[in-house]
Amino acid sequence: MSTTLPKPAARYRPPAPLGGRDAVPRRSRGNPLALLFLAPALVVLGAFVAWPMLSAFRLSFTDSSGFGRESWVGLDNYARVFTDPTVLRALGNTALYAVLFTPTAVIVALVLALALNHPRLPLRGVFRTALFLPFVVSLAVAAFAWSYLLDPQIGLLNYWLRGIGIQLGNVLQDPTLAMPTVALVAVWKTFGFYMVIFLAGLQEIPASLREAAVVDGANAWQRLVHITLPMLSNTFAFVLIVALIAALQAFDQIYVMTGGGPFGSTQTIVMEIYESGFKELELGFASAVSYVLLAITLVLSLVQFIFFGRRERDAQ
Amino acid sequence: MRKTATAALAVMAAGALALTGCSPAQTESEGPTTVTFWHGYTEADGDVLEQIVDDFNASQDEVVVETEVKTWDVIDDTLLPALSAEEGPEIVAMPAERMPVYADKGAFVDLSEFYADDENAAAVLPAAADMVTADGAQFGVPTGFVPLSVFYNRALFEAAGITTFPTTWDEWVDVATKLTVDENGDGTPEQYGLALPDHATVANGLWPSLFYGGGGDIVADGEAVIDSPENVDTLEYWSNAVATNKISPTGLDGIGADELFSSGKAAMHVGGPWMASISDANDIDYGIAAIPAGPEEQAASAIGVGMGVTAQADDAQIDGAEAFFSYFLSQDVATEWSLGSGWPPLRGDIPASAVESNPVVASLTEIAGTARPLLPGVTGSVDVLSAVDTATQKALAGGDPAALLSDAQAEIEAALAD
Amino acid sequence: MTTIQLPRSRRVHAASVVLGFAMLLAAAAALLPIAIIAFTAFKPIAEVNAYPPTLLPGQWTLENFTRIFEELPFARLILNSVVFAGGVTLFALVFDSLAAYALARIDFRGSRVLLIAIIASLMIPFQALLIPVYQLVADLGWVNTFAGLIAPRAADAFGIFFLRQFFLSLPRDLDNAARIDGASEFRIFRSVILPNAVPALLTLGIFTFVNNWNDLLWPLVFTTDAEMGTITSGLTLLTGPGGIIPQGVMMAGSLIAVLPLAVMFLMIQRRFIESVATTGMK
Repeated sequence: MSTTLPKPAARYRPPAPLGGRDAVPRRSRGNPLALLFLAPALVVLGAFVAWPMLSAFRLSFTDSSGFGRESWVGLDNYARVFTDPTVLRALGNTALYAVLFTPTAVIVALVLALALNHPRLPLRGVFRTALFLPFVVSLAVAAFAWSYLLDPQIGLLNYWLRGIGIQLGNVLQDPTLAMPTVALVAVWKTFGFYMVIFLAGLQEIPASLREAAVVDGANAWQRLVHITLPMLSNTFAFVLIVALIAALQAFDQIYVMTGGGPFGSTQTIVMEIYESGFKELELGFASAVSYVLLAITLVLSLVQFIFFGRRERDAQ
Repeated sequence: MRKTATAALAVMAAGALALTGCSPAQTESEGPTTVTFWHGYTEADGDVLEQIVDDFNASQDEVVVETEVKTWDVIDDTLLPALSAEEGPEIVAMPAERMPVYADKGAFVDLSEFYADDENAAAVLPAAADMVTADGAQFGVPTGFVPLSVFYNRALFEAAGITTFPTTWDEWVDVATKLTVDENGDGTPEQYGLALPDHATVANGLWPSLFYGGGGDIVADGEAVIDSPENVDTLEYWSNAVATNKISPTGLDGIGADELFSSGKAAMHVGGPWMASISDANDIDYGIAAIPAGPEEQAASAIGVGMGVTAQADDAQIDGAEAFFSYFLSQDVATEWSLGSGWPPLRGDIPASAVESNPVVASLTEIAGTARPLLPGVTGSVDVLSAVDTATQKALAGGDPAALLSDAQAEIEAALAD
Repeated sequence: MTTIQLPRSRRVHAASVVLGFAMLLAAAAALLPIAIIAFTAFKPIAEVNAYPPTLLPGQWTLENFTRIFEELPFARLILNSVVFAGGVTLFALVFDSLAAYALARIDFRGSRVLLIAIIASLMIPFQALLIPVYQLVADLGWVNTFAGLIAPRAADAFGIFFLRQFFLSLPRDLDNAARIDGASEFRIFRSVILPNAVPALLTLGIFTFVNNWNDLLWPLVFTTDAEMGTITSGLTLLTGPGGIIPQGVMMAGSLIAVLPLAVMFLMIQRRFIESVATTGMK
């Protein structure tokens, strides 16, 4: 029987997250053809992403407020990023948020995608829609709904929990609980999207693999660990990196729910960028903080790529 | 699939073209100067303001003021990009405490000559004019200036047998204690005597008001003075009142306090004129009173709104904007605006009798003399207010007022130094 | 025979029940905040902040909805939203999939560097780019136009990255067969890759559409003219006196704003999974 189970790697090899070069000969390696495919996107990204990024980079060496006079200040803004206690605290808060949000969102999404993919699940379409709905609601409204539910005086959730003897208190004004709460709201809001990506990834796994494993007598757990999860590693790496980038840019629900408080305990780095840029009109400094964030994200992502790239090679 | 996508694209493109067909009219040509005016008056006050603008446009043929209504938050979020691309308004209204930040960066035209030459501008309440002044030069014109006041729930007062509104802090705490009800005795009252927010208070004005009452201040003559002994006493007084008598929940912000009052769970609330319409909508029979006097003074922080001329305006537009300001501040229009907006008149020479047709305005006009502008001319107001918030919120959560105010002092000194 | 089958069928039944029950709990947790939005929309204003709080309105009312239609040019806002979010989605799908195909299937010098640059551009917060982008759009004279709203997002780094990952996962046998038959790259892209990538395109399409539909700051900044606003930006105008949001009205507006998205997903989700199932994995 085992002869009918093809070596998955030979038949269907998930490429490494960033690499993925394989031995299939390519007929066309000419730049002009690639350029034709890339041109529309590159025009848009060049004008509306690359150019603004360069502008922001230039601004990061000035004291610009976005309008009017500005002067060159060299590396002053960057020096301030690493000495300003509020920025340093915001970096710490962002790290905490990323640690709370990223694994939770990815795992919740994965588990629910696996459950939705389970052949025994009744009412699949209903559950799929219900679980995706939070993603469809705008984050400002979602944050509003949660604040309303969690309100210490008139919040429904607090009221219900009091009914069963749990005093939740004012979670959004508690310096230790506020960050977990805003991270939880973000998990609630975004897991549906990651879940759908996992679902798409799960559908890519050839049914023949699973059937063969069943014939081989593998139980559900073995199938999950030895077939489903390895085949999903590519999707997993993608979701993880996207969720990490999102976590490091946490802003919307915090802006609406806590405004960075209490006592700056939910002040993330993008909150800091927004406040310096748009409220205090220090666009040059805000641009410098943005570039520091870019550098940090880039390093973390590369670590992740290397980690997954190595695992990929080890698996082969 | 591709066919449908192409077709859909074509439809979209056609739709986009059709919708953009109405391009903006040329403003550079001969004829009246056009001045764009952004403001955030979205309620009945907005209707009155539109009427005033229409009347102004009809009264002369040099200038046409065109309004664009946004909310105050939206103005604050979009003004910077608009200014950066010179796509912004020539006149913009915003909460007065936000104006010095923009003025400091050169966003507003200096109006000191206008104030010196125009008799209507000269008639503006001095305290209201202070609000739009930095380093001795005016960068704007007030559109609203009103002291914070206490809104109280008459039904709850009656139920507790209280007939007169308190006039001193001790009486105030006493009344608030009587109005605090903890029926089931679990330590969490079902009804609070007072909604006393400890951060992000209405117009950031509650704690400044209390500090004034105790004889203190936050910033005086450009120096941080928040760690004064008077302020320590004030903060101790109120955190004790909340801790011992449970007159207010802690961790409350201004909007939470508004909600607590409008849900009937708090008998008193320090708020702005808009609480009148919110109370009406929630069927709450309310009264308005001045914030009771502190041991040293009776004073209240003002909620202020002002408008300025942005630096992108050309000379003709600056003249046009000043003409509009002069019209807006003239006696009749100022009275009309006061009645329509529900805020007290901006001029000192309008008698209370002129606005008695609106009882809310009349009550607020009576106490208008207690109003003080919040942090006039302080460009680092965001950081200053956040330092105050941290101190008050931590104090009400049980922290030591003296230590907290000395932390705040250091933060405010740093903010003022920037 | 029955003695052997009974436990098995019972076990299967039990798995189904346990799984169904667990998913019911998860769905309830996911839906509670949405339910509160939906039910608050039908509450009279005095009930919104009432104590004790209730999930269902004590008295159902449509006054919040009528107020919205009175205060906002609803049809216009929805139309603007459809053109904006739909336009961005269509352009982005076409441009992103073309670029992703090049990055996944065509060998060219600098492709790796280009990919890293594209991913890196996701790492700068958009708050930092907003003003330079706006200045550019203003220089082009596109403020208050759909061109200004749509063009900056007509291609998107996330979409290129996402589709590139998906295209890489498609078996090479598919396009190699076509290549051997002499098909052009564009033909392979159109007739082999795209039909097999429908689920990924739908996922990205939903993502792009939802994000743009719900985006607040973008339409607020790029359109100063109220006529050009979207449904999401229009809702901010409902802010009441003193900046206080009339919650019932806001929730009613949010419900109307989210309804098209929910219906869209409901319609697509079946097709979305079915089409995945037919992906040629032979």
